[in-house]
Amino acid sequence: MTKYFRELTVAAALGLLMLSLAVFVPHFFQFQPFISRLTSQMPALVAAIGIALVIISRQIDISIGSQFSMCAIIAGLTAASGLPLGVAIVAAIAAGAAMGALNGVLVAYLGLPSIVVTLATMVTWQEALRLWQQGRLLNLPEGIQWFGLSQPAGQTVVISLAFLLLIGAAWAMRNLSVGRFVYATGTDAEAARLAGIDPKKTTFGVFVLMGGLAGLAAVLNLVQSPQVQPNCGDGLELKTIAAAVVGGVAISGGRGTLWGVLLGMLLLANVNPALTHFHQPPYWEKAIQGLVILLAVVADGLRSRKVKL
Amino acid sequence: MSSPRSFSIKSLLARHETVLVLVILFEVILFQVLGRNFLTGGNVSNVFRHSVEIGLLAVAMTPVILTGGIDLSVGSMMGLCAVLFGMMVNGLGMNPWVAGLAAIACGGLGGGVNALLITRLNLPPLIVTLGTFSLFRGLAEALTKGAESYSGFPSSFLALGNSNIAGLPAQIWVFLVVATGIWFLVHRTTFGRSFRAIGYASEGSRYAGIPVNRNTSLAYILAGAVAGLAAVILVARLGEARANAGIGYELLAITAVVLGGVSIFGGSGTVVGTLLGWVALAFLNNGLTRISDYKIMDQTVASVARELSGLLTGLLLLSALAIGALTKALAVRRACVQSLSKSTTNPATP
Repeated sequence: MTKYFRELTVAAALGLLMLSLAVFVPHFFQFQPFISRLTSQMPALVAAIGIALVIISRQIDISIGSQFSMCAIIAGLTAASGLPLGVAIVAAIAAGAAMGALNGVLVAYLGLPSIVVTLATMVTWQEALRLWQQGRLLNLPEGIQWFGLSQPAGQTVVISLAFLLLIGAAWAMRNLSVGRFVYATGTDAEAARLAGIDPKKTTFGVFVLMGGLAGLAAVLNLVQSPQVQPNCGDGLELKTIAAAVVGGVAISGGRGTLWGVLLGMLLLANVNPALTHFHQPPYWEKAIQGLVILLAVVADGLRSRKVKL
Repeated sequence: MSSPRSFSIKSLLARHETVLVLVILFEVILFQVLGRNFLTGGNVSNVFRHSVEIGLLAVAMTPVILTGGIDLSVGSMMGLCAVLFGMMVNGLGMNPWVAGLAAIACGGLGGGVNALLITRLNLPPLIVTLGTFSLFRGLAEALTKGAESYSGFPSSFLALGNSNIAGLPAQIWVFLVVATGIWFLVHRTTFGRSFRAIGYASEGSRYAGIPVNRNTSLAYILAGAVAGLAAVILVARLGEARANAGIGYELLAITAVVLGGVSIFGGSGTVVGTLLGWVALAFLNNGLTRISDYKIMDQTVASVARELSGLLTGLLLLSALAIGALTKALAVRRACVQSLSKSTTNPATP
């Protein structure tokens, strides 16, 4: 039980939030708006799966917002040039993986701290995109929105894709050796090396995967509207890191589950709608987000301190 | 074999700073040749007037990074301090100079929050300051209800941002005082010396009797207070206090510090290096806006100067990091080879 203490706490908090919404603002749960809100959170969930792996391997990636925007524009341009949607999806994922590989080489093989590397790549991609697109909105051709399906069908596809990925990744992290490699590298890279794991390769792989997932997340976002904004990924890094940390992924690496990330994501994502539905001003969102991150790390700090004693 | 490799930290740094001076000279020549009116008194003083805030953040970030930490919250802190300052002057009718001091104190207090969480609870500086990065900016936005801004400050206060004293922009004098103070602290006092000791080996410093937690805390408090000062100067220059003051400035400050040769792992680096890194960035930023005869992607360089200088800054930071890591790896390899071939003598740093 105590092993999943954080997950249970967050689940309880989420349940409480949902319950109070159900009691005081029942129209929060009207089917169609509820599904739309859930769908719009799926890209961030996919990116959060990646960021959770990065944090579990004791790294961080704050360039994912820029990667996301870049992949969205690349996918959009590919689709706009008349190529089929499948090609656009592959292009986005490949571009993401390539950007992730750059981070991976610098962090894993040159031993540079991931925070500075990804800070630098974040600004590089962001400004390159601004220079390239000049902030223009990109109109997408017909048949891209909702994968060319009806809106409910498209929403079903987006939600089920994201959840299938989550279930698969959670299973792999628990049961496959590569998943355990990630935990081992994050717990103690040197011990992992002595146990025959290649921590550099693992770290590199995690960053490549992160990039690929950012690309996929960009696609899931792309299909939800007829246009792409070149700044669609702004703030995604904070959102996903907050979700992971709140969901119990230890920033010191080696600990956390993807189910916790899902709960953290849902809890944070519902702060803003809840504020609106309770008729509170929405501009408190960022402050609450920051406070929740700090509370989560303080809880971690106090907990590890107790363990030490 | 070859000449004796005494890789003293001092010679490495001397080399780094020489390289930076050459980079700056190269920039000056390049922009003077390609651009218009780069090296005029008016423009040069403009360069410094517009980058003083980043310079302040960078200089104050140096001790933090020397201890092996990082502070991502300084840009958000500027936004919060700017808003608090505006509220104190406009809402409470306080004297702007008193309010300025209060804003600096607020910055110090915010830095204290960072310091408390980092040293007392032993939390990683990265995630703590990422949290306060969001918290401080969020508070600034909440206090201004997302849109309000404060203006109408007395002209005697606005002079701090827009007038000249003895031929130099007024805020440069403030900057010089702060930079000299921090240089003195870091390089001429035992207290400041401890920053590098902590960054080099925090546990070892503790055994050597250095109050690690106290000294590290002071580095963060100083960074916060200087962010407050930078906010006041920014408000004086723009004549307006908004919640979005200083967005992205933390990145520019960190870039200046890392370009200046301060190791991101802590333990080595100089304030002079940071200053040179800052000047190189400031010249790059301004120089590109002076080039209107050349085109890139069908746009004049000047019209896309902001994006271009951002992109170049990112690339510059990446290459500085990569080169730093490669030279370090080479030095380690060389030292290993030497100690293998001559196991009796110790070729490590004297």
